[in-house]
Amino acid sequence: MNGRRVTVAAAAAGVLTGVAGLGVLAMPAGAGPAPVLPEIDAQSLVESVLTTEPAAFGGTVDVNNDLGIPAISGVPQLSDGVSSVRMWTDGQDRVRVSLPGSQTERTFVDDGENSWLWNSADQTVTKFPHGEAPEQQSGEQQLDPVAAARQAVALVQETSDVAVDGTARVAGRAAYELVLTPKPDERTVLREVRVAVDAELRIPLRFSVFTNGTAEPAAQIAFSELNVGPQDAGLFTFTPPAGAKVDEGAKDAEQPTREEAEKALGEVAPQVVGDGWDTVLVVNAPLDAIVPQDAGEDSRPERGPRPEGEQFDPRALLAQLGKPVSGEWGSGTLITTKVGAAVVAEDGRVALGAVPEQVLVEALGQTK
Amino acid sequence: MTAETLVAATARPRRAPTGRLLASELRWMLRRPRTLIGLGLLALVPVLAGIGLSIATGDGSGPAGEGLAAIIGGNGLLLPIFVLFLSLPLLLPLLSAVWAADGLAGETANGTLRGLLVAPVGRARLLAVKAFGVAALSFVAVVVVTVVGLITGLITLGGGGMISLSGTTLSLGDSLARIGLVMLLVTFQTWAVGAVALAISACTEHPLVVVSSVLAGLITFQVFSLFSALDWLQPFLLTSAWDPLANVISDPIPWQPLWESTGLAACYLLIGLSLALWRVTTKDS
Repeated sequence: MNGRRVTVAAAAAGVLTGVAGLGVLAMPAGAGPAPVLPEIDAQSLVESVLTTEPAAFGGTVDVNNDLGIPAISGVPQLSDGVSSVRMWTDGQDRVRVSLPGSQTERTFVDDGENSWLWNSADQTVTKFPHGEAPEQQSGEQQLDPVAAARQAVALVQETSDVAVDGTARVAGRAAYELVLTPKPDERTVLREVRVAVDAELRIPLRFSVFTNGTAEPAAQIAFSELNVGPQDAGLFTFTPPAGAKVDEGAKDAEQPTREEAEKALGEVAPQVVGDGWDTVLVVNAPLDAIVPQDAGEDSRPERGPRPEGEQFDPRALLAQLGKPVSGEWGSGTLITTKVGAAVVAEDGRVALGAVPEQVLVEALGQTK
Repeated sequence: MTAETLVAATARPRRAPTGRLLASELRWMLRRPRTLIGLGLLALVPVLAGIGLSIATGDGSGPAGEGLAAIIGGNGLLLPIFVLFLSLPLLLPLLSAVWAADGLAGETANGTLRGLLVAPVGRARLLAVKAFGVAALSFVAVVVVTVVGLITGLITLGGGGMISLSGTTLSLGDSLARIGLVMLLVTFQTWAVGAVALAISACTEHPLVVVSSVLAGLITFQVFSLFSALDWLQPFLLTSAWDPLANVISDPIPWQPLWESTGLAACYLLIGLSLALWRVTTKDS
């Protein structure tokens, strides 16, 4: 019967369409052809980025993370995988940022006068006054922004090759691809850093870090959606919802004073060894001091079991994450990720950098 | 379809009016005691959830749980949404699978499908009527959960405008609009399960096989999502479309994940209905 054959053909077409649809949905959205843009040299591109006026926009930033850092509870954006951040700004000092989790959300709103941090997981709002710090530093850095930008470019060029490598389309916008490659004598595990710069606004749209031996970026932060233009003013206001716990104590009690901050900084004693790409930061961070008191209370990794009801032992965690290393400088645990490594020494020193193990160990040997 | 419609349809050679077929199918399904019992039990879910959550949040000791439950205290308008998301992974698919199983496999088991296949109703139209029945009852189930949830929420948890995941307080109109949107999204996801269930239903004569294979499939999908080694499979699994639906109560709504979820469900719907059509068309009468 002809009608039957037509129906079967339609059904087959339906199945094929559905399967194809699944494939299309699963595929990451294509970027489209690279746009044609006027030539620009790297120097002036970087300068324009550093001197550009902030614009009002709203958008979604996708964080694609393949660093190999273990899952950190509550901040899925840091652990391996894809996550997103939504942000809006009016181009001045009012900002809204949303960090969606699994059926939870953290929202940060800066309305120009106060900053609010909302966490849906425990229904709390933290309120703190808008930026006190920035005003105080102006004296020493009142430079012509263009001159400052030139300085910055010169500094970067001492250790890196900066080049414009064609164009790209990011979040539907035309962008230049800026590539920073370490000079051959830089001892780093990174191969290059690519920054896609919006051709019109001169803001970075995509930031990718590539390591040696991989074609896919180890980390990529990119706009997947960007709407440039004035944003709804209602986004930049925040009224704590009924029933939420509002914590205003941050200003008086919990916020460390300048002296306290300096004292804490003195204890940590950060030292910088090397410069450019092989910079190693060595800090003093005794394990017992950095373990949060309420660890294990509301923290729950996305996957996998968690030692429950046991004493949280940072050393056990370290041993799980890294492998033991030792040398003339002492002994410790080496944790490697794709973009760098860290050595946590037994004596409380921590050295970290985007460098191979060798350089870290040397840095530890040089510092006390 | 009742015996009378069959007799009436064979007596007159012209096509049976579609509206009457649909109404008859729906009446027939709603008359089954198991349908009514299923809907009644489903209506208990929001009542129990509302009472439980109001006890959990009543003493002011903080959030009642994780995820959406964390912001449900004093947020009665959220209860229908909470319960819909609660029912989506298992209860709603179970009900739609039962109805889909009754539709074709059940009729085969009773020997009544044979009569339907020789009736002057095209096989595609027969499937359309059956699919309509499943779809309509799935929607009824969602409406029952929502309405009971709304009333229970306002009584047990109270509160004015809905508090969104972003910490903003939505106006009453906006809250109701979002409840409506969740109803539509959840209904559509349930339809996707129902369509696959219909396809299985067309292939077997045992209703139990349909229900158990749908449940087994859902559980397998959810187990798959636990293994990071199977992450590449995630975008193909219908169950992975369900978590992002919580974005509806984010403020402002991010539409992209909602479209993606609905697109995924649409693919399953299309595949399920097409396979069912294929099987029904090629079936010996």
